[in-house]
Amino acid sequence: MTNYIPTIGIEVHVELKTKTKIFSNSKNGYGQMANSLTNVVDLGYPGTLPTLNEEVINLAIRAATVLNCKIRKQMHFDRKNYFYPDNPKNYQITQARTPIGYDGYVEINVGGTPKKIYIEEMHIEEDTCKSAHRGDKTLLDFNRAGVPLIEIVTKPCISSGEEAKAYLEKLRETLFYSDISDCKIEEGSMRADANVSIREKEEEPFRTKVEIKNIGSISNVGLSIEKEIERQKKLYENHETFKEQTRRFDDKLQDTVLMRVKETGNDYRYFPEPDIPFVVITDEMIEHAKEKIPMLPDERRKVYGEKGLLEANANKLIQNRSLSDFFNTLLEENIDFKIASNILLGDVSAYLNKEEKSITDTTLTKERFIELVKTYSDGTISSKNLKEMLDSIMESDKSIKDIMQEQGIENISDDAELKQIIHNIILENQESVTDFKNGHDRALKYLMGQVMKETKGKANPRIANEILLEELK
Amino acid sequence: MEEKLTREEVLHVANLARIKLTEEEIEKYQVELKKLLNDVEKINEVKGYDDEILIACWEDNTKLRKDEEGVMLDPKKALENAPSHIGNYIEVPVVIGESEGA
Repeated sequence: MTNYIPTIGIEVHVELKTKTKIFSNSKNGYGQMANSLTNVVDLGYPGTLPTLNEEVINLAIRAATVLNCKIRKQMHFDRKNYFYPDNPKNYQITQARTPIGYDGYVEINVGGTPKKIYIEEMHIEEDTCKSAHRGDKTLLDFNRAGVPLIEIVTKPCISSGEEAKAYLEKLRETLFYSDISDCKIEEGSMRADANVSIREKEEEPFRTKVEIKNIGSISNVGLSIEKEIERQKKLYENHETFKEQTRRFDDKLQDTVLMRVKETGNDYRYFPEPDIPFVVITDEMIEHAKEKIPMLPDERRKVYGEKGLLEANANKLIQNRSLSDFFNTLLEENIDFKIASNILLGDVSAYLNKEEKSITDTTLTKERFIELVKTYSDGTISSKNLKEMLDSIMESDKSIKDIMQEQGIENISDDAELKQIIHNIILENQESVTDFKNGHDRALKYLMGQVMKETKGKANPRIANEILLEELK
Repeated sequence: MEEKLTREEVLHVANLARIKLTEEEIEKYQVELKKLLNDVEKINEVKGYDDEILIACWEDNTKLRKDEEGVMLDPKKALENAPSHIGNYIEVPVVIGESEGA
C-alpha cells in the first residue's frame, strides 16, 4: 500500500466566561430553562442594534496572548450570511477579515518529541441558538444565541490523530487555567472540527479535504481523524475520487458518516458589519488583559519538577485546578513537597471525591496543611493516623495537635522509651536478628511489627525504624 | 441583447435564500439581478474609494459595553411571536444537516 501523508487542521470554538452575551446584556448561562436568557437582540428582532461587551475583548486579548498570537490593533466585524433557523437574523456576526489574533502557536509533546502547532488566526464571533431535532420538528433554545465565542484555527500542520489530541488537551488546559472559558466539551463550551486530507508526497498540492464536525470528546477527535485517514486511503487505493464534504463522528458506529457536500465559502457573502464601527485595541487594554493571567500549566510543571515532584504527580495536580492552586500557595514554605503532594493526591483527593467537594469547600487552610505535612514528615503521625484524622482535618478548624489529642493519637517519639522496648524485642527474637544479619529483609519488617504490637501501634514509625536499625548493628 | 444572468446563477442565489422560483420569476430575475449588480459595480468608479468606508463612515470607534446584566424577556413574551412552541422551546420544521453557523 502507498504511504500517504495526512494533513490536518483543527478549528476550535470556545465559549467565553463572561457574565453577559457578546452583543446584548442578557445573561450568559448554561443549563437554565429554555428561552429564559434572551432579549430582543438575541432573538434578532428588526431594528435592534448590537453593543459589544468589553469583557469579550478583554478575554479574547488574553486568549491571543496565551496562544502566542500577534494582536490586531484595529479590527472590525463581518456578517456571514446564511439561512437556517438557528439564526433568525440570517447572518452571524463574526470576524472574517480582521481576526483579533494571528500567527500564534502552542507547544505539544507526543511520545517525547516536542512540536509547535501553529495557529493561523483566532477570531471573535457570536454563538447561534441551540437546536435539537425531534422527528419532523426542530426545537430552538435561544439561551445560547449571542454567547461569545472565540474560534481558533490552526495551520494545516497536524499530522496524526495523536497530535490532534495533544493539541486539544493543551489548548483546553491553557484556556481553562487562564480563566477564559470553562472548556467543557460535554456541555458544548469547547467544540472541535477537524479538516483532514491525505497526499502521497510533500511536494504534491493538497488534495480534497473533508471536514469532521461536532466531535463530542477529545479522544474521539483522535479516533475520528484516524478513521477518516483510513477511509480516504481506501478510496485512493481503489482509484476513486470524492467531493469536499462535511462528515460527523457517530458514537455508535465509531466512524465518520456523511452530513452534506459543502457550500463554498463565497456563498456566505461576507461583508463588513455596518452596525459596529472599528474596534481599537490600546496598549492599556493589552496590559490589563495580561495582568490576570495566572501561572499556566507548563510553568507549574516546571516548578513542581524543581520541588521534586514526579512528572505523573505534577500532571495529576494540574488536572485538578483547585488542588494545584492550593499547592501553589505552599511553594515558598519549607516543607517536604513530595509528601505534601502525596497527601493532597492521596487521602485529601479521596475525601474530596467521596464528598464531591472542592478543596476550597473544606476547612483545610494553608496553615493547618503545613502543620499536617510537618507532623507527618517527622513521623509524629503515621499514614494510618492520617486516615483516622482526615474527617476532622477537612471539616473542623482545630489544629492537627488538638485533633491528635482529641482522638487519643499519641505516638511514642521518646527515644529512651522506644529504645528500651526495642532492646527487649531484640532479646526475645534472636532468630529474626540472625535472619536479618543473613540478608533477609523480611526479618526487619517482622521486628517492626513486634515493636508496633508492643506499643499498640503508637510508636513513631520513623524513629522506631532508626533505633531498630541502630540496635541491630 | 439585454444583459442577464444565467438561469443557474439565479437558481443558485434562490437556493441560498431558500426560496422557490417559478419559470417567469427566473427569467425576470435573470434581468433584474444583473441590473442590480451593474448598479453596484458603479461604486468602483468613485475616485479614492476605500472599502473601509463600508465598515464605518464616521470617525468614532466602537464604544464598549460594561459586562453587566440587564433586563431579559419573560420567556412567555419571548415565545409570543414564534409560529409554534412546545413547552419553552420554539418549534420549527426540521432542516437537518444544513447548520452553517458556529
